[in-house]
Amino acid sequence: MSGQMNKPPTRRSFLDLILAVGSLLTTAAVSIPGLMYLWPAAKGGGPAKVEVEGADQMTPGQGKTIQVGSQAVVVVRHRSGFKAYSAVCTHLGCLVTWDSPTKSFLCPCHAAVFDENGKVVSGPPPAPLPEFVVKEIGDKVFVSAA
Amino acid sequence: MMGLVNTVKQFFDDRYDTKLAGELISKQAFKRLPPHTGWLHVLGSLSLLLFISQTITGIMLLIYYRPTPEAAHKSIQYITAEVQFGWLYRQIHAWGASMMIFAVILHMIRTFFMGAYKKPRELTWVTGVILFILTITFGFTGYLLPWNQIAFWATTVGTESASKVPVIGDWLQYFLRGGDAVTGETLSRFFVVHVILLPWALTGVIAVHLFLMRLSNLATLERVGEEAPLKPEHGIPFFPVHVAKEGVVVMMMLAVLVTLSVVSPWEIGEPANALQTPPHIKPEWYFLPSYQLLKYFEGPYGALMGIIGCSVPFVLLLLWPFLDRGKERHPRKRPIAVGLGLFGLLGAMFLGYLGHISETEQTFFGQRYHITLKGWPVPLDDTADAEPPAH
Ligand code: HEM
Ligand code: FES
Repeated sequence: MSGQMNKPPTRRSFLDLILAVGSLLTTAAVSIPGLMYLWPAAKGGGPAKVEVEGADQMTPGQGKTIQVGSQAVVVVRHRSGFKAYSAVCTHLGCLVTWDSPTKSFLCPCHAAVFDENGKVVSGPPPAPLPEFVVKEIGDKVFVSAA
Repeated sequence: MMGLVNTVKQFFDDRYDTKLAGELISKQAFKRLPPHTGWLHVLGSLSLLLFISQTITGIMLLIYYRPTPEAAHKSIQYITAEVQFGWLYRQIHAWGASMMIFAVILHMIRTFFMGAYKKPRELTWVTGVILFILTITFGFTGYLLPWNQIAFWATTVGTESASKVPVIGDWLQYFLRGGDAVTGETLSRFFVVHVILLPWALTGVIAVHLFLMRLSNLATLERVGEEAPLKPEHGIPFFPVHVAKEGVVVMMMLAVLVTLSVVSPWEIGEPANALQTPPHIKPEWYFLPSYQLLKYFEGPYGALMGIIGCSVPFVLLLLWPFLDRGKERHPRKRPIAVGLGLFGLLGAMFLGYLGHISETEQTFFGQRYHITLKGWPVPLDDTADAEPPAH
């Protein structure tokens, strides 16, 4: 038997090969769709551009959390106009709130402070709050992702 | 009556080797345990009994629980307020979860300090650490199911930490959440893991753990490789002596569970609100040490270092029997292992305590302190003679 090892493929070794490759392909055919099934199906989220309800009733210094697509966003009315930042703290994902007396965004989870431009003032976050695009059309205010 | 019993007996005798079956069963029932087997050896059975209790109460809760963001919180309210004894089974499940983790930890402490993980029982220990990790995962996934504020945000923060894992972090987080944020998709995933995958995984690993435990019998305190063979007449019979101890422990466990459920019930809390994070969210007690440890890692690589810092203890636990190859089992003859074990245990308890009191006010020796996020006490100078700040 061992003398035949180096010989050209016999019928038996050929069948062994087919069997090995076949098992591999079957395993792949069974498991790849299964893994893909587990991967989250991409969803649109919501509209990517959102009107800020009641924007005309906001006074300068006031802030409001709204949802843009699947993202929470804080819209702040300054004297100069509206600005919007992602409300998702860049540390571990809690939502910041606008604190008008100190003109800053505060995170309730690990006490992070961001200034009015979203820059980190103190606390653990590694990055600033991403800014959102604000368009003022007449007295309507729209927010969309950058 | 006797006739019926005989007919049944005859039915089995005609078909199976009932004598062999009887021998196998009585061999298990009357097996001898080493003479020093005592009350501390009941902790493993206690963990198992709590798992059984969780399974039964979990199946009962499932009859009324609805795993969707719209219905989950209301269904728990319904279980508590409308279903007869629903409050009791919910409380026993919630308290049982904590007790099960506590029992598993005590069981680990017992086997660690008695050197039971040493050769030939290394793999019994390793399967035990896997059981510990699975049990904690049970707690993490179950916590989200009531879909309340605290659970929603603790899960947001918990899964956000996963995104800091190098290379695959973002995928991992997306996969765990079933999308970008914690939503109904997350609830479905956690639900399936909590009620289907984990119960079967735990059942399988428990089976292997118990099988290995039986193969090598319980450890004694003798040196590795020098154990004197167990003389049956000196051993403790599993039945009735050890089983009686287990029976006492079950009754005490049920009494404690019911007492806690009545005296200190778990709140349902406010329903989850994805647009508002409540202040001071803290995880369950068994996550407090990692929660506190993560706070000390800051800066761009902080999160990564934090993840490494929190995984090292688990890796050490898994590898421990292969790192500590000393022959001694008796704790008094293993000063280094016992010292390290105590250090780890007290360290985890201290971190957990800091996590518990962080961001609260506490009084120590008559002085009020505000405890910062990182656990430093800052004196509150509401007293007139307090020194003014130096600057
Ligand atoms: C086979 C077993 C299990 C089933 C079928 C099950 C099922 C459930 C269900 C339906 C809930 C939601 C109801 C509720 O929140 O009260 C729940 C909650 C929970 N489960 Fe389980 N469970 C099982 C085992 C476990 C284990 C072993 C643990 C932990 C060690 C655990 C920990 C939790 C926790 C912490 C909650 C949240 C309790 C609350 O806040 O009310 N479960 N489980
Ligand atoms: S999540 Fe905002 S500071 Fe940690």
